Amino acid sequence: MTSSLDAWSLGKRFRREWGLRDCTLTIPEGAIVGLTGPNAAGKSTLLALATGLLAPSEGSISVLGCDPLREPAVLAEVGFVAQNAPLYKSFTVGDTIEYARRTNVRWDAEIVADLLTRMDSQTKVGALSAGERARLALALVLGKRPQLLLLDEPFAGLDPLAGREFLQLLMDGVAETAATVVIASHVIAHIERVCDHIVLLTGGGVRLEGNVDELLDSHRILMGPRRPLGAIRGVREIVRERHSGRQLTLLVLADGPIVDSSWTVDQVGLEELLMAYMAPERLPSPQPSPQPEERLPLRWHG
Amino acid sequence: MAWVTWRQHRSQLVAGLGLLVALAAAAFGTDLPIRAAYHRDALSGCLPPSARSGCDIIVKHFQGEFDSWAGAVRGLAVLPALAGLFVGAPLLARELEHGTHRFAWTQGITRRRWLLSKTALLAAATVTITALASGLVMWWRSPFDTLEGRMAPNGFDLEGLVVPAYALYALALGVLAGLLLRRTVAAMTVTLVVFAATRLLVLKFARPDFLPPLHRTVGANAVGTQAGDWILSDTLVDAGGRGITAAHEDLAVLHAQHAGLDPQTYLVTLGWKRVISYQPGGRFWTFQLIEAGLFIALAAAVVALTLWLVRRTPT
Repeated sequence: MTSSLDAWSLGKRFRREWGLRDCTLTIPEGAIVGLTGPNAAGKSTLLALATGLLAPSEGSISVLGCDPLREPAVLAEVGFVAQNAPLYKSFTVGDTIEYARRTNVRWDAEIVADLLTRMDSQTKVGALSAGERARLALALVLGKRPQLLLLDEPFAGLDPLAGREFLQLLMDGVAETAATVVIASHVIAHIERVCDHIVLLTGGGVRLEGNVDELLDSHRILMGPRRPLGAIRGVREIVRERHSGRQLTLLVLADGPIVDSSWTVDQVGLEELLMAYMAPERLPSPQPSPQPEERLPLRWHG
Repeated sequence: MAWVTWRQHRSQLVAGLGLLVALAAAAFGTDLPIRAAYHRDALSGCLPPSARSGCDIIVKHFQGEFDSWAGAVRGLAVLPALAGLFVGAPLLARELEHGTHRFAWTQGITRRRWLLSKTALLAAATVTITALASGLVMWWRSPFDTLEGRMAPNGFDLEGLVVPAYALYALALGVLAGLLLRRTVAAMTVTLVVFAATRLLVLKFARPDFLPPLHRTVGANAVGTQAGDWILSDTLVDAGGRGITAAHEDLAVLHAQHAGLDPQTYLVTLGWKRVISYQPGGRFWTFQLIEAGLFIALAAAVVALTLWLVRRTPT
C-alpha cells in the first residue's frame, strides 16, 4: 500500500517550545484520517508542515512522495483548508472562485458550481455566514481535484447541522476521486462517523495511530471487583484504570483473549478509546509480556 | 497571475493613476503663468553665453516670483517612496496579517512564482506611472532647468531616469519589509526609513564622486559659479593654496572694514582665491544613468533576497 503522507521524526520548534516533536507516521493512500488531540497538540503544526507553510526543525515530511518545501509543485495535488478558512474578505464569491481557477493546474467547474448553487456569486466573502464560508472553501479545494485533502478544524464555528452537512458534502466530493482525506478536529464526535484511520496527537507527539477497526479490535474494557493490579493474561497494556467504590474498570490494549472470568469484557467505542489515550488517569506502564516483539499491525507510541 | 494581480491591486493602480492625473492638472495649471512670464521677460535671451544688460534683475525677478513654486515641486521627491509604502509593504504583510497566505500559497501555483509574478507586474505599473510623472516634472521644470540647471539635487532627484528607479527600489524594500515584519504599518515605517536613508547616503557619499569632480580656481571676488553646475564645495585659499578658516576670513574682512577698504578687493590683494569643486551640468544624463543603475541593482538584489527568503522563511 502506498502512502499519501509520511513523517519521520518530524519536529517543529517555535521560539521556546516544541509544537510537534518526534512525529513518525504514515497515512495510507485513500484513507479518511481523523487527526485529533486536545488543543495545542500539534495538529495545525503538522498540517502546516505538510503544506510547506512551516519548515521542519528536525526530521522530514513527505507528501505524495515529495518534500512540500523543496518541491512546492506538489501542492497542486493537495487541497488545504486552513483553520477558519482564510479567504479574501473583500473578494466576491465569484472572484474567489476565479482566483482559485486561475492559480490551479486543474479545475473542475462542475463540482464547484454544484456545491455553490445557493450562493450568489456577487456576495462579498466577508458577508458570508460561517457555514457558507466553509462550504465555499470546501468547493475551492474540491475544484482542484486533489489527491490529498487536508482540513484544519473545518467544523469550528459551524452549528451541528452545518457541520453534518459539511461532512456529507466532503464525503460526496471525494467519493469518486479516492482522494486521501485528513480532517483535523479536536471534537471526536465530528470525525467518528467517517474516518477509518486515526492519528492522535498529544503534547506535540503522536500518542496513537492506526486503522480504526484494528484499534477497536485490539482494545477492551474490563470490569471487575477492585483488586491489586498485577499482570493480566491477554493484556498487553493498561491504558486507563478507573475506580468507583469496589468496582474497577480498565481500558486495556489486549494481545490475546482474556481468560480470567472475574473480568467482564466489553467492546470499546472510538470516542472513549481516544479520550482514554488523550488524558490517561494513569500513565501506561508496559505490562510484562511474553512477546518481546510487537506483532500488532497497530503502532504504538508511548 | 495577471488577473490575480489586477484583482488584488486594482485600487492601488487606480490611486496611482489618480495621483498622476492630479499631478498633470496641477502642472498644466501652474505652468501657464510661468511660461507667460518666461516669454514676457524674454528670459531665453539671458541664458549664457549672452551678456544682455539687465539680465541679473530679470532673472532675480523671475526667481523671486516662482522659486517658491519650484520649492513646492521638490516635495515630489517623496513620490517614489509611495510605491514602497502603499504597494510594496502591504503586498506580503497584509496576507501574513490576515492569514490569507495560507490560502494563496497552497494553490497550484508555487509561492515563488506567485510572488515573482506579482512583483514583476506591479513593478511594471510602478515604472510606467513614475516615468510619466518624471516626464511631467521635467516638462514643468524646463524654464527652471534652463536658468538654474538640473544637476543639483533639487532638479536631479525629480527628473529623468532616477524617479522610476527610486520607485522600484522602494517597492522592493516594501515587499521585503512586509515578509520580515508581517505587519503592514511596521513594514511601511521601516520601508520609509530605509528608503530615505539609502537616498541620503547615496546623495551625500556616492553621487558627488560618480565621476571625479572638476575644480576651478577664481579670484576671491569673482562669481565663479555657473548656473547648471552642482557645486560640491567652495572654499577660500591663500596664495600658497592652504585653506582659510571662516574665523580667519572674518578677521580679514573686519580688518578691511576698519581700514576703510572694500573687503572683497582686499581679499584679492592678499592673493586669496576661491577653489570651487563641482560637477558640471553636462554630466546630467551620465549621472542619471549611474544613479538609476545603482538603484535598479539595489532593487534587484532586494527582490532576489525576498524570493529566496519567501521559500525558506517559516510562516
